Formats: sequence, C-alpha cells, structure tokens
Amino acid sequence: MPRYVDANQVRFTLRDRIFLDTEFFSGERYDALEARRLFPVSGGNKYIALLDENGNNVAVIRDLDAFPQEEKQKVLSALDEYYRMPRILRFIKMTEKYRIWMWTAETDKGVITFEIRNHLTAVKPLFDGRILIKDANDNRYEIPKFDNLDKKSKKMLFPKL
Amino acid sequence: MDFFSNKPVPEKFRDRAQRELGDARAVFAIVGDMDLDGSYNESVMYFTQNAILAFDEKHPDSFRRTGFDEIETAFVKRMYGNALFRVRMKTGETADLLRFTFSAADIADVAALYVNSVIEHGFGEEPVETVYAAYMKQRSFCPKCGRKLPSPDAECINCGGKKKLLSKFAKYVYPERGRLIACIFLSVFTTAMSLVPPYTTKILVDDVIPGAANGADDALARLFAVLGALLGAYFLQYAVSAVRGYILRCAGDKIVINLKKDIYRKAQYLPLSFYDKTSTGSVINRVNSDTATLQAFILRITQEAVVKFFLMIGLAVIMFTMDWRLTLLSFVTIPLVALIGRTFGRRISPKYMRLWRKSSAISTLLADTIPGVRVVKAFTNENAASDKFSRYCDSWFAEDKKAAKTASVFPNVMTFLVSCGTVIIYAVGGGEIIRGNGALTLGMLVAFVNYAGMFYEPVNFFANLSDSYQNTLASAEKIMDILDAEPESDFGKGSAPAKIDGKIEFRNVNFSFDHSKKVLDNINLTIEPGDIVGIVGTTGSGKSTLINLIMRYYDDYDGEILIDGQNIKDIDMSFYRSQIGFVQQDPMMFRDTVFKNIAYGTPNAHVEQVINAAEIANANSFIEKLPDAYDTMLGERGVGLSGGERQRVSIARAVMKNPGILIFDEATAAVDSETENLIQTAIERLIRGRTTLMIAHRLSTLRKANKIVVVDKGRIVECGAPDELLKLKGKYYKLVQIQSMNDELISKKREENFE
Repeated sequence: MPRYVDANQVRFTLRDRIFLDTEFFSGERYDALEARRLFPVSGGNKYIALLDENGNNVAVIRDLDAFPQEEKQKVLSALDEYYRMPRILRFIKMTEKYRIWMWTAETDKGVITFEIRNHLTAVKPLFDGRILIKDANDNRYEIPKFDNLDKKSKKMLFPKL
Repeated sequence: MDFFSNKPVPEKFRDRAQRELGDARAVFAIVGDMDLDGSYNESVMYFTQNAILAFDEKHPDSFRRTGFDEIETAFVKRMYGNALFRVRMKTGETADLLRFTFSAADIADVAALYVNSVIEHGFGEEPVETVYAAYMKQRSFCPKCGRKLPSPDAECINCGGKKKLLSKFAKYVYPERGRLIACIFLSVFTTAMSLVPPYTTKILVDDVIPGAANGADDALARLFAVLGALLGAYFLQYAVSAVRGYILRCAGDKIVINLKKDIYRKAQYLPLSFYDKTSTGSVINRVNSDTATLQAFILRITQEAVVKFFLMIGLAVIMFTMDWRLTLLSFVTIPLVALIGRTFGRRISPKYMRLWRKSSAISTLLADTIPGVRVVKAFTNENAASDKFSRYCDSWFAEDKKAAKTASVFPNVMTFLVSCGTVIIYAVGGGEIIRGNGALTLGMLVAFVNYAGMFYEPVNFFANLSDSYQNTLASAEKIMDILDAEPESDFGKGSAPAKIDGKIEFRNVNFSFDHSKKVLDNINLTIEPGDIVGIVGTTGSGKSTLINLIMRYYDDYDGEILIDGQNIKDIDMSFYRSQIGFVQQDPMMFRDTVFKNIAYGTPNAHVEQVINAAEIANANSFIEKLPDAYDTMLGERGVGLSGGERQRVSIARAVMKNPGILIFDEATAAVDSETENLIQTAIERLIRGRTTLMIAHRLSTLRKANKIVVVDKGRIVECGAPDELLKLKGKYYKLVQIQSMNDELISKKREENFE
C-alpha cells in the first residue's frame, strides 16, 4: 500500500524547479522526488505521487489543498513545471486540407497552431463540461468550459464535438 | 553533410547565432516552440562539433553556450505535454537548454545521443547521420497534401489515387451500372404512368361526368373506358415498380457488400497503432451502420434524384401547357423552400455528427462488455454495467431529441409552404372559374392542383437532399477514416529471401507509443542464428515492445532492425511474418473447431500435419480425450479449454508454420507448474535449431537459454550468457536471487502445509 501523507507529516524544498527534497517529520529524508498527479484529468489537487529517480513511489499526498500555503505552492510549482496542458481561451482559425486539420488557438501560454489528424479521437468532451484535446504530436490542451468560449470559437468547435 | 534543422531558424536569432558561432561549423539545429518558462515562444539550439549554443529569451542575455567538455551527459526529459533538453554537467548540476512541445521531442532524443556519442568517441559522421535520419523521418510529409508518410519516398495514399469523396465511392457503384441504368428506365416509365391519373381526372370532370348529366348515350361506356385506362396505368405503374424495387435492392446490397468487404480487408492491414486509438466498437459501427447510410444515399443520388429530376421537368412542361400563369404562381414558394432547405442542412449537420459519436460510444460499450461478460458476472457488476449502458443510451437520446427537433420542424415548415402554393392556385384558379372569364375549366383546375402537388414532391426531395447528404457525409468520413488510413505496409512488396537463418540485429532503436514516454531507448542488440535468448526485466520495462517491433506490429521507430543483415522494412510483410512463430501469454482462439484453430494460418493443412503438430505441442493427449476430439467446437475466445490447453493449441499453431524464428511472450506465465512442464517440454522440442526469443518472468523457463537480455526502463542494461551475468552480480543476479528466495519460500510453505 502506498504511504499516504498529510499536511502534518512532511515538508518540502523545491530544487531545480521540478524536484522536491522531502523531509518527513518522522526523520526520513528523500532528495529530488518528482511530483506526479495520479489523476491529472479528473483529480485536481488530490492524490499526488512522489517518485524517486527510479520511478519508485515514496509517498502519495492525499490532498494538497489541505497543506499550508507555502508547502502547497512548492508542490504546485513543481507540478506546473512538469504538466503543460494549456487552457484554450479562443480559437482563431481551423483550416482543413485533405482531412488534416490545423487549428490555431489562443491559450493561456500564448498562441499555438497544432495539427489534428482525426477530431473523433482528438477531441474528448468530459461529463464535467471540460473538453480535452490531444494533437497529432500528443500535446494536450484543455477547454475549461465550452459555454465560456466566444461565439466564433463555439461555432468552429461545435461540429467536432 | 550540410546543415539542417527541423524548422526554419527564427529570424530573431539568426544574426546573433552567426556571431556566436564564429568559425565553428553548425552541424544541425533544433528549433523549439516554447521558452524555458513553458510559454509558446521561439527558441533554437545549435549543435556544433564541440558545443551546444542555446538561444532562448529566458536564458540570461537570451543565450547559453555549453561546451561538450563541460557536459557529463545530455538527455531529454519528457514530461506532460512538453519536454526539456537537459544536460548534467561535470560539476554535478543540471542545466535546461531548451523546452519544446512533443513535436520536436523525437529529433531532440537523437540530438542527445549525438552529444553523448561525441563526448564519448569524439566527432564523427555516424551520430550526425542518426540525427539526419530522424530529421528526414520528421520531414516525411506529402508535398501535396501535408499528410505524414511512413518514409520520405513513400507514395501518399491520399494523393495517389482518386481522392474526391464521390469518386472514391463511385468505384462501388460502377459494377452495378447495368442494373442501376435499367432501374432508371423503369423509374422513368413508372413516373410517366404516374402522370396519367391527374389527366384522366380532368377528362372525367370536364367531359365524362358532365356528359352523363346531359344524358349522353355513351356516357357510361366512356366512363368505363377512362376508368379502364386509369386502372391499366395504375397496374403498369405498380407492377413495373415491383420489378424495379427488386433489381434496385440487389444492386444496393451488392454495393454495400463490396464496401463492407473493402473496409474489413483494410481493417486487417491497419497497424496496431490505429487500434490503439480507435475502439473496436467504432470500427464495427463503421462496417455496419455507416455503410448502410452510405448505401441509402448512393441509391437516392443514382435513382431517386434522377427520377425526381425528370418528373420535375415533365410536370413543369405539362403545367405550362395547361396554364402558364398558374404555373408561375405555384413556383412562388420555391425559393423560400430552397432557402429553408439550405439552412436546415447547416443546422442539422453538426447534430448528426454528435449523434454519430453517441451511437459509436454505445457500440464501443457493447463491444467491451458483451465479450467480457464473464468478468462482469465475476464481479457481480451486472447492475453497474446496465446503468452505464442506460446512461449512454440516455445521452444518445438527449442528443437525438435535439436533432429530432430540427429534423421535424424544418420539413414540416417546407410542407406548409408547399400547401400555401396549393391554396394560391385554388384562390386564383377557383376565382377565375367562378367569374367565368377565362379558359380554365373545373377539370383543368383539379388536374392542375394534382400536378402542382406532384411538382412540390421533387422540390421537397431536393430541398431535403442536404439533410441526408449531411448525414451521409458524417458516415462517409468515418468510412474514409479506415479506407484512407495508412496500412501497415504494402504486402507483396519488398524482398522474400529463400530462407531466414535467424540473425537479428537492433541498431540504435528508439520507440515511443505516444510522445509522452520513450518505451525503448537506444537499443543495440545482436542475436545469432540458433541463439536461444531469454528477455527478462520487470513489468513495463519494454520486453514486449521489443518483440512487437520484431513482429512489425509497430514500424514507426527510429533506428534499424535487421534480419540476416537485411532491414526488416525491406522484406515483404507476409513472407516475413510467415517466418516467425509467435506464442503469446493469452493466446487468441477463434470460434471454430480445434482442428481449424491449429491449422489457422496454414490453409489446406493435411490432417496428419495438424495431429503431428499437436503431438509436438503436447496437445494431442488432451485433444483426443475430448468427445469430439479435433472436431470440438471452441466457444468464443477458446471457451471450453483451460489456459494451459489453449497455450498448447497455440504452440501447435506455431509448429504448423515451421518458422525460422520463434518468439514466446510469457508463454507459461498463466499456468500451474504441472502444465508449465508440459508446455516447457513442448517448447524445447520446438525450438531446436531455431532462433528463439523468450520473454519470461519465471526464470526457470529460460533454462535452455544461451543468452540473457535484461531490459530495464526501455534500455538493455545487461546482455550475455547466463553464467557471465550471474558473475556480474547485477540486475539479472538480483532477479535470480529474488526468484530463488520466492521458490524456497513456496516450497517451505508447501512442506509446512503437507506436514
């Protein structure tokens, strides 16, 4: 069974933007652990695994939101470094030639043009209203809420849903 | 080799790069699409013979030079949706030189190999060529349509032949052209017959019935003559219509059958990567319901559209002849009908697409749960499975309701408009007859209203054609998704050597299923003919992927795999696979007899061949005890046989092929010790003189192996004779130790239990 940790059991030091030197209050210390969301799509800040350099699970954070702000921020910062799933704010253009789509979108990380080979498999609406997009190179994007998109973006995306 | 880069170097870095490079020769460059903070931005990394020059606005002064003499190792850290080119310095610190999305990850991997190779062996052309090969692979796009190609010189499947949707499907219609043309003639005939009744109505109303009222002697005779003609017209219309219906159905069935056959055939040749991304339910949906939708549409276009067109022309001519003013009046509503038809098409199209997705999700769920009904029952999950299915159905229903609203309202609006046209005719024509100031008679008006009603029918048909066209487009797109997909390889192309001796070489092989994780990392391995090689490693270490590449289930890897010195991609696929016997952990059995399951892949196998194969595989002994022996019909996926029995049938199947290379993937993992012994004996009989690769968790399975390959995290960490590896006291030694302890524990427990 994994070792679950709560706020009162551990403290972190962020290193090289991605590694967490982790000190358990029981006295154990692990250097350069990497944080991985066990539910990157559905889990929010719950169940975050801490892995050593060989990928072995050292501990699992049950609920990061219950951690003191300073500790939470370090873990979030490491996670933010690892996970890149830009949020799409609007679609600028969708062009298609011979059934290969190029979508240009404005995201919270800037404007990007990516390729969609098959929108049936690339676009996945979730039950909570989010839409996940995976491009031809396996890069991921998220639309937090379809209804919040502007009219033009909705019109472009709707037929692909 | 000239300088190359994965994309044009951004303008903003070019001058600076020239200055920083000075006299140094830039071998190649990687252009990134992110900055080091992870925002989309331009960045670039030049590789010279002795340094890396990274340009990124987030570097101090937007630039960092790192000499190879400072670097201990270079590697790519793949993360979630992005990757970093990172170097570990000799000082112990690590430095990030470039961040990029996965679009540049593959070429960055080989760039890291280049750096490490130059650090270790000095500069040489070979590592540059490896990078160049990866670069060329990235550039393997069709210059015409941009589609990714399996190799730079491969023919684009998209542009190679007829690519327009209609012309693609026309090839299925063409063989049926005789029947379809005959149907068109028959349709024109029935349409002409359908024009007779309104005209007879005119004669009855204007001539026959008033004649009777005026006491004409021959009134009754004329009545019966007209009714006889009417009856004859009806008879001919429906009799010919029945014949036409039969011919049309046969032609339609033939079209759809040929289409289904082609889709199924193509589906057999699609690479596993297609099935990794596409659910089987969705494929089944395409073969079944999408082809039916397409069939209906093809018939609508080739038959009804033609007939309705002629009907429209015929009616227009008759109506103009009868009364041109009324005809023009009845056309008033047509532009409105056409406009509404177009609007309808635009509204309904995305709804049909969404509906298709929901329907496909239901098919996928069915394809998942019905074959897995044993698991459902074992976990008493019947209720949850039913609830999930209900949820999917409800979701489909909700979507269908939305589509139904549009689909129901629009046609009725159009029909209403058509009715308005009829009212206008009655108003104008009726007024004229009542005033008695025109040539229009009551019979003519009734006939005209009938003809006008008939005229709106084709108008309505063409207005609604966009609806079925949109629906069909959605289906056609799904079908094209299979028909147009890149097949595994061109079977029948490539060489077929007389014999495969069984020498296998991996040269700098890198592979990832998707870009997020590298599954095989720089694999270099040589297996000599006749070697018995055990492949060991922990779960997920990449053992099975290694085998999948040898089997050519995935061809999209970097590097080369050679058999007897020849690149496996240059060998004809069907010949190649026929030379490999593959026994899997959970062998697939088909719903057929035991005999046919053993002879699968060996058509026209002689009975004795099958029995001998079963004997070698230690399967004959249990088969002959079955009541129907070799005629025993196996249930779906081999139901009726135990795991060990299925495994021995699968080995017998491999024996039938008499292959040059044998691969066993955890062949004894799921069976008890006694069965393992039976299978093990069968395997030992089979492998004599053949190059054999065996993946095994139980190291006892590898007692005959003369070479062990230890795979860990996608890399070969140890390779050599078992004794040598034991002496090394490395990973293999540890695995042996752990397993010996396990075996000891098990035997102790067993002894305790017996005591």
